[in-house]
Amino acid sequence: MRQGKYPFVIGFLAVPVTLYSVFVVSPYLQAFWLSMTEWRGIGAPRWIGFANFERLFSDEVFWKAVRHHGVLLLALPLITIAIALFFAFMLNVGGGSRGGQRVGVRGSGFYRVVFFFPQVLAVAIIAVLFQMVYRPDESGLINGVLMKLGLDPIFFLINPNLALWSIIAVLVWQAVGFYVVLFSAGMASIPAEIYEAAELDGASRITMFFRVTIPLLWDTLQVAWVYLGIAAFDAFAIVAVLSVDSGGPDGATTVLAMEIYRNAFVYSKYGYASAMGVALFFLTITFAALTLRVSKRESVEY
Amino acid sequence: MGPQMTTTTTDRPAAGRGSAAGPASTSGRARFRRIRSEVRVLTGLGHVALAVWAVLVIVPILWTFLASFKNTTEIFSSPWTMPAELRWENWGRAWNEARVGRYFVNSVIVVGLGVAGTMLFGAMAAYVLARYTFIGNRFIYFLFVSGLAFPVFLALVPLFKVVENLGLLNTHTGVVLVYIAYSLPFTVFFLAAFFKTLPTSVAEAGMIDGCSHTRLFFQVMLPMARPGLISVAIFNVIGQWSQYQLPLVLLAGDEDKWVLTQGIADISVSAGYEADWAGLFAALSMAILPMIVVYAIFQRQIQSGLTAGALK
Amino acid sequence: MSATPDTSPAYPSTGTAAPSAAPGTTRRTVLRRAAAAGLLVTPAAGLLGACATGGDGGNTEQATGEKTAQNPLGVKEDAELEVVIFNGGYGDKYATDVHEKLYQQAFPKAKITHQSTQAVSTVLQPRFASGNPPEFVNNSGEKFLDFGALVNDGQLQDLTEMWDAPSVDDPNKKVRDTVIPGVVEQGMFNTPDGQRKPYVLYYVSTVYGIWYSGKLFKENGWTAPTTWEQFTALCEQIKSKGITPFGYAGANAAYYMWNVILSQAAKVGGPEILRNIDNLEPDAWKADAVIQAARAWAEIGKNFSDKSFEGLKHTDVQLRQNQYKLAFYPSGDWLENEQKKDTPPGFEYQIMPMPSLTAADKMPHGAIRAAAGEGYFVSAKSKNPRGGMEYMRQMLSKAGARGFTETVGAATVVPAGSEGYQFPPGVASSQAALKAAGQNVFNMMFDNWYKELDTEARTATNELMFGRASAEQWAERIQKRADAIKNDSSIAKFTR
Repeated sequence: MRQGKYPFVIGFLAVPVTLYSVFVVSPYLQAFWLSMTEWRGIGAPRWIGFANFERLFSDEVFWKAVRHHGVLLLALPLITIAIALFFAFMLNVGGGSRGGQRVGVRGSGFYRVVFFFPQVLAVAIIAVLFQMVYRPDESGLINGVLMKLGLDPIFFLINPNLALWSIIAVLVWQAVGFYVVLFSAGMASIPAEIYEAAELDGASRITMFFRVTIPLLWDTLQVAWVYLGIAAFDAFAIVAVLSVDSGGPDGATTVLAMEIYRNAFVYSKYGYASAMGVALFFLTITFAALTLRVSKRESVEY
Repeated sequence: MGPQMTTTTTDRPAAGRGSAAGPASTSGRARFRRIRSEVRVLTGLGHVALAVWAVLVIVPILWTFLASFKNTTEIFSSPWTMPAELRWENWGRAWNEARVGRYFVNSVIVVGLGVAGTMLFGAMAAYVLARYTFIGNRFIYFLFVSGLAFPVFLALVPLFKVVENLGLLNTHTGVVLVYIAYSLPFTVFFLAAFFKTLPTSVAEAGMIDGCSHTRLFFQVMLPMARPGLISVAIFNVIGQWSQYQLPLVLLAGDEDKWVLTQGIADISVSAGYEADWAGLFAALSMAILPMIVVYAIFQRQIQSGLTAGALK
Repeated sequence: MSATPDTSPAYPSTGTAAPSAAPGTTRRTVLRRAAAAGLLVTPAAGLLGACATGGDGGNTEQATGEKTAQNPLGVKEDAELEVVIFNGGYGDKYATDVHEKLYQQAFPKAKITHQSTQAVSTVLQPRFASGNPPEFVNNSGEKFLDFGALVNDGQLQDLTEMWDAPSVDDPNKKVRDTVIPGVVEQGMFNTPDGQRKPYVLYYVSTVYGIWYSGKLFKENGWTAPTTWEQFTALCEQIKSKGITPFGYAGANAAYYMWNVILSQAAKVGGPEILRNIDNLEPDAWKADAVIQAARAWAEIGKNFSDKSFEGLKHTDVQLRQNQYKLAFYPSGDWLENEQKKDTPPGFEYQIMPMPSLTAADKMPHGAIRAAAGEGYFVSAKSKNPRGGMEYMRQMLSKAGARGFTETVGAATVVPAGSEGYQFPPGVASSQAALKAAGQNVFNMMFDNWYKELDTEARTATNELMFGRASAEQWAERIQKRADAIKNDSSIAKFTR
């Protein structure tokens, strides 16, 4: 098994490692260097050490963006997973058992297909779509109805207290279907006998959900949390296209990617933008480390 | 695979059907009734919730299709009425002037090649990293996996320079290579874990039979890893299809090569300038419609591919 | 990406010739005065030393040809020319149908590549960074490239040779003599080594004000108010008819609104109010006149506007005005052309200056903001800068200017191009307003110089106009950002 191993290993790694080094590693290293410079995008960067970071830590907008990542990081996975779990439970177990099989409610197949669909649409396209849905006047999908009913319109993207949640809602709207399918698969692989035994013991549906389904799905939930966490750190396309004033009103929906974009491509402050990128990098790393530690709970074998 | 739950099929409460054939004991009957009513409430609530969510998903898309046939005045005055006539000229405008058709084909080309390359190279790297010990293995593995934590944003400007120096700017080749490179971290991370779970006995048997490492990979391990490959391919298709920032920078100079997300975002800005909202809705519809078709045909594969892999 | 409209016009000038009016001495005088009075863009030297090193990749072979009477700039006849046009309010048809054709006629062997974009910097920033810029650029729109950074980096072609070349129509007349006086000076920037050179061509005459429908006003017997009391009284009347009296688009065009507030401030306190703001003077934003103007307009926002406008883009709000659901809308005179498709027949765009806020206003009611807008430059480090300059010379020919005016309905800085041209009602009214303003013309430039300050002013103005901030808070936060910019050594400073 060891013979000819190294030529093979090198042969297999050559292309992927080269591609990765050229297009990923080297630009990132350059970006770390840029974060220590002052660079207007044109001309030669000038080394200024940690001055960008000093400026960053006293930048209100930066902290605003960081706070929004905190909200996203909690809200997006919690809401999405809660809704998706409930739906997955309904679609797989909610109908009780039939002929020895646990079944979902009627129309499960249809729901699964419909719910998943937003996942195949690109975020940029969904953002354009929800621009229309959220419009603040009678031409908006929602406010059109409200105003026909004689109610006041809701300013989804304008009200600073509502804007971020309106954006989170779109992210949840897109994500739920994916996790319904993910959790469904997990539930389908839970042996029906476990539910039956629980049922015989007099467990209610709710007890079953919390005592049987969730522990047995722990691995899947962990995967879901990681994916959604990554999504929470990259909300650029949705914020850039959907929010008013690119992250507004008054920075109420801004995220780091948006600020990086603004500083780089609007203000031409590439060094400062790179410093923000580095900060984003460390935040992401911290999240990943924490998630791995917290979720290292023994999963239930069956 | 774990403890076998014992049960008898005869006295299982048939809660879902509300069958009258219940267990004989009174306590059992009471419990059975409780469960049945609980099921009703839960199912009722659940049905409502499911239906509401389905409406939430379908209505905006349906509404987009309707609006694509309206004119600007109709869109702004009455979002909920039917268009007075089917204005196909909106679609014509989106197709010809906004060139949605071309963007779509470009997306298909770029994502097709990108995912194929990602799968091939990602699987090769993941396999070697998962199943062979050699000096530098851990280093390379973590180099790949750490890419998961890097925001693409950080690299945009230097990346542009790299691509330009290679003469690949404004080419699909350049974008495809970049897509592959940026898809590798997840692909390697995911597939390496997958390859690790494959039994070693098969590989050993293969080696004893005189299989070369390469043949072993392509003829034995890859087919065994099929569920994992499918699911990661689907993730990559979704990811690359949605990619917006990279093509925006790498293809900016040649409108003929733009991909769909870029095109639609541009049209949405143009609609801002030219107030052609109907054209925008038509373009949106054109971007969505083929996805509905593809999804309708392949949804089983998409979902089963996903589930096969994500649970490993 | 939300994109804000506009032609980021900068330098004060009026450069236009109204149809019947002879190029009056008054206007010429105004322009000359404006030019002399401090349009000299002076980057605070010393702060820029660091940026002064040239960009990489500037060693491209540059095409040259033989200089002849037909080809005074020595363009290589078969050299490629890449033209990038901002596809905003003026579209890009004027370039493809007029200017590029003129160039092609002069140099049939040249291959012209045309690109239009709504996000100039997104598309071009990387190309400048890598030393492969296009020859000719219309640098405009929300995402225009920072002129200061371009100048400091030596990216802009010195246009002196083009201005001194014989004009297309009359070989005995230099190009600089075919445009309205002051235009050349307006495009001048100071280089880091202290020289002053023309780098930018500002091509379009732009007048700013508040727009209304002549038809709507005539039908209701309303007249354009000249004082603040008249203005608020009329707003009450309009409101009672179920029409929104005043509005601007908060989602992407808040700068239309700070433009209103600052124009108002200039009328109250005189044009030096704006100069102080441009020069980042201490407490410039907290001047009484500015606070007064902000307070007055915040009241209008509170009483006479529509809260939903904050979430709308400029074209949405402009469409409402076309549907007679909105009475007053602030904008520049590209508005009429931009709305051409959606304007109902007989709508008749009309402009009015800001109503006078107090009886003690330093400037008369007719005072108005006017500028030569729409900046064009040639890239010094492109492959064919001579071709770029020739393109500019063709643009400034009579045929080029006339073609532009006919295509987009706006006046250029070449008077010969608009002679005898019948402007549509809106531009005709802004031309008349400009003429009436006489010497009382003002401008501001901070948004072109300091993008960050523009962004802050936009955000703060939305907070002010939609009732989340007071005039004092508004001034306070913009001043804070202005001070931060002043203290930021990485940002090139300009004064006028």
